[in-house]
Amino acid sequence: MLILTLKSARSALLALASVLISATAFAQAPEAAPAKPAAMSEQEALFWVLLGLLGVLLLMLLFTGITIAVQMKPQLRKLYDLPTVHNTWSGQVLGLLVGDARLVQGDVRDEIMDHEYDGIHEFDNDLPPWWKYGFAFTIIFAVSYLFYYHVAKKGQLQGAEYAAEMRQAALFVPAGSDDPNLLTTYQPLTALADISSGKSVFATNCAPCHGANAEGKVGPNLTDDYWLHGGEVNHVYKTIKFGINGKGMVSWKGKLSGKQMLQVSSYVLSLKGSKPANPKPPQGEKEVAGKAVAKL
Amino acid sequence: MQVELPPPAVAPRSPQIPSPVARAVETFFYDNKIVRDFGIATVIWGIIGMAVGVLAAFELARPELNMGTAFTTFGRIRPLHTNAVIFAFVGNGIFTGVYYSLQRLCKARMYSDVLSKIHFWGWQLIIISAVATLPLGYTTSKEYAELEWPIDIAITVVWVIFGWNMFGTIVKRRERHLYVGIWFYIATFITVAVLHLVNSAEVPVSWLKSYSAYAGVQDALVQWWYGHNAVAFFLTTPYLGLMYYFMPKAAERPIYSYRLSIVHFWSLIFIYIWAGPHHLLYTALPDWAQSLGVAFSVMLIAPSWGGMINGLLTLRGAWDKVREEPVLKFFVVAITAYGMATFEGPMLALKNVNAIAHFTDWIVAHVHVGALGWNGFLTFGMLYWLWPRLYRTPLFSKKLATTHFWLGTLGILFYAIPMYWAGFTQGLMWKQFNSEGMLQYPNFLETVIQLVPMYYLRGIGGLLYLSGVFLLMYNLFKTARAGTLLANEKAQAPALLPEALDPHVQPGHWHRWLERRPFQLAVGATIAILIGGAVEMIPMFLVKSNVPTIASVHPYRPLELQGRDLYIKEGCSNCHTQMVRPFRSETERYGEYSKAGEFIYDRPFLWGSKRTGPDLHRVGGKYPSSWHYNHMMDPTSMSPGSIMPPYPWLYENEIDYSTLPAKIRVLQRLNTPYPTGFDKQAVADAQNQAQGIVADLKKEDIEVKSDKEIVALIAYLQRLGTDIKVKK
Repeated sequence: MLILTLKSARSALLALASVLISATAFAQAPEAAPAKPAAMSEQEALFWVLLGLLGVLLLMLLFTGITIAVQMKPQLRKLYDLPTVHNTWSGQVLGLLVGDARLVQGDVRDEIMDHEYDGIHEFDNDLPPWWKYGFAFTIIFAVSYLFYYHVAKKGQLQGAEYAAEMRQAALFVPAGSDDPNLLTTYQPLTALADISSGKSVFATNCAPCHGANAEGKVGPNLTDDYWLHGGEVNHVYKTIKFGINGKGMVSWKGKLSGKQMLQVSSYVLSLKGSKPANPKPPQGEKEVAGKAVAKL
Repeated sequence: MQVELPPPAVAPRSPQIPSPVARAVETFFYDNKIVRDFGIATVIWGIIGMAVGVLAAFELARPELNMGTAFTTFGRIRPLHTNAVIFAFVGNGIFTGVYYSLQRLCKARMYSDVLSKIHFWGWQLIIISAVATLPLGYTTSKEYAELEWPIDIAITVVWVIFGWNMFGTIVKRRERHLYVGIWFYIATFITVAVLHLVNSAEVPVSWLKSYSAYAGVQDALVQWWYGHNAVAFFLTTPYLGLMYYFMPKAAERPIYSYRLSIVHFWSLIFIYIWAGPHHLLYTALPDWAQSLGVAFSVMLIAPSWGGMINGLLTLRGAWDKVREEPVLKFFVVAITAYGMATFEGPMLALKNVNAIAHFTDWIVAHVHVGALGWNGFLTFGMLYWLWPRLYRTPLFSKKLATTHFWLGTLGILFYAIPMYWAGFTQGLMWKQFNSEGMLQYPNFLETVIQLVPMYYLRGIGGLLYLSGVFLLMYNLFKTARAGTLLANEKAQAPALLPEALDPHVQPGHWHRWLERRPFQLAVGATIAILIGGAVEMIPMFLVKSNVPTIASVHPYRPLELQGRDLYIKEGCSNCHTQMVRPFRSETERYGEYSKAGEFIYDRPFLWGSKRTGPDLHRVGGKYPSSWHYNHMMDPTSMSPGSIMPPYPWLYENEIDYSTLPAKIRVLQRLNTPYPTGFDKQAVADAQNQAQGIVADLKKEDIEVKSDKEIVALIAYLQRLGTDIKVKK
């Protein structure tokens, strides 16, 4: 999580940097081509140096400001108390500097009102300014929010947001790989490592329906010679990937990786003839090894 | 014990206004017995409601704790828990405080002792009927409005009696102006009445079965307008009213700011009512309504915090008393919890936060900070303050009350922290994609099993909190034993003069005018609370484009309808949503996201609010019927490690076809396009469809009679979300 946060903070800074840099570039050479990715590392270094300098500068400024405010507090206080300054905007900023709590909590006069209810009295103190301005801010936020999404129509509402998310995801998927009609041309895996990871994928995902030893429960027995949707590895792969709509075999596309699906297909084929206990009676057509489309 | 208030910290400027007319002082008596009765009911129902909550909490870790009976499964007792703590514990708590403070703020006995008694016993009977019906599965499934229609009518009657009694007392008051506490009581009375009447609109099928007058998206909007404002006007506004009375009484300090109470009262009741749609962000609810929910929720922060500020700043100059006085300790934590929950709520209403938090335990944590902290602790503080005054004797043990305070606080922490943790964990796990662009945790169960340790911890938190309530009961019992109930407390005040002659009627703050006129104040509050609901609901019902129709969506077949009613009866929607949200992480996991037009025949809607189990909107056709058959018999057989309980009774109980024709007729009246005369063919159609499922199961060597409930449930599950599936 921490790394994630750091990452996102870094990317935010990078975005800021690119804005800064492009702004300078724009000022100097409007026709300059956009920075190439290759130049990023150099830019990045420059950015960190600049950012560091900026930070130091800001710290110094802050320190100076604090020093002045602390050193000159009596004078500032006097200035603040001038009636011509006291109630102006700049006067209020000054008030914050000299630490006038009234600006945060309001004028606490604590004058009792001339009524009481069953012994309960009431003051009539000001609304705390932070509360008042906070309320105003939320109202401005709310109005702008509605304006942004529904009048200016600038923001993405959920449909558009979803479409954008799916478009972005589609960039990662190679075209054509999702056509259920195209059969893959894999060979079954035989390496022990592949078979054993296939076995663990099977145990967590397939065993509830096909049984712990693939003897068949809700789903068919996978250890006999009978197949409902083809027993050759690429047919098994296809059945796993796309599922059999309406018959209970769910699609594992997006849940298992291509490699995992091939591993589990290979594992299943390796179980052929293992004769587990309580086998489910055969379903589908008998297939003899070698009869299938591609060679085993 | 010092019962009378000492003079306030600062002397009033000129409270004594010379009276031009001599006024005879009247003697009257406050009714303390009714306060005591409501107080006892509060404690007893609190213990029962919380105990059911603890059981429900542990059932999520150990489903077998339902001891194999239908009546104690999570789906049935979760509504029992929520109804018991909201309407029985907090409800009686409200009435305890209102009956005590209203009399004193009005300087009058309650309007009618008979109405008070009817109110008390009527309310307890309603709760008993809830305890009797909910575990039996008689439920409308609409959250916090689960009770069936005859009980809804009873609630209406008792609520009107409460209002009659309250306004009667206000009318015969001896105090010219209404104190802020009473404004909150009035707003509570009016709004709860409006919410209850609108949301409970339903058409009866039989004595304990009805269908909602609204369907799908519209039903969802009405329900969450209600649900959100039940929180606002049953758990918040009446308790703010109580706080405005008991806080300054216990702290012996004046209210911080009168003008703040005006501003936050009106802004709170006006804005709150709009915020309901934030329960339906990223659902099939139209975007404009969602955005209104977001915008108004954000605007709620300041009005909510107005109450917190006025409560906490009232304590200025009395903080040293907080160290000594358990009552104030409870109040301080209550108000702080209120402040936290009302800041968190608007944050959860931001769409990007909601995308993670919704349907997870984060929401459960959020509501419990409010319920345990704000409502619970304010109630406890109030009872500890009241009992010595009712019984004219000091509290039996302050030390025990302080122990209760710490047990309760610890309980809240043990409850909330694991639930927040669980919420973040699950929310993030659901959304996590791996580098290959696939879900990191495609198996929903993986994300549930992660949470089981948190569920244990949360249950322990609940136990700690509940054990504190036992201390409260013991302490109050011993206090009562030591003293005697002052059933009728003597008080004196002059009668109210006609307004023209009353010296209290002076030109001052404009709002004082309203405070002299309960009727106008009530009308003002009614207008304030009607606007938001009207602006959201009227277009939703009248403008067709809000629910775009889909040609392939058809009404449920009779057997599916029977299965759906079983789904409602078993409370499946307490753990399963039927709302695939438009996120890639959800469409990858469940299938196409849910569309408004798919729900037009759903009465009631069953979108749910919590995903303890996976979403079921696209479950139709996903598994063979035999999978469901095995799964309902023993969920762990199909999903090892599942925390869902088995439902063996579905395999024994026969489908109740007796009301099916009536159901069809009711739905026809509600414009479901079944052919004319279909009610007479419905049973045959259902049996026909059941035969198909039985034949299907037989292929998998499963023998089941076609009249068992499981067959209907399978029919419904296999139908879910399939109307538009073909298109994909």
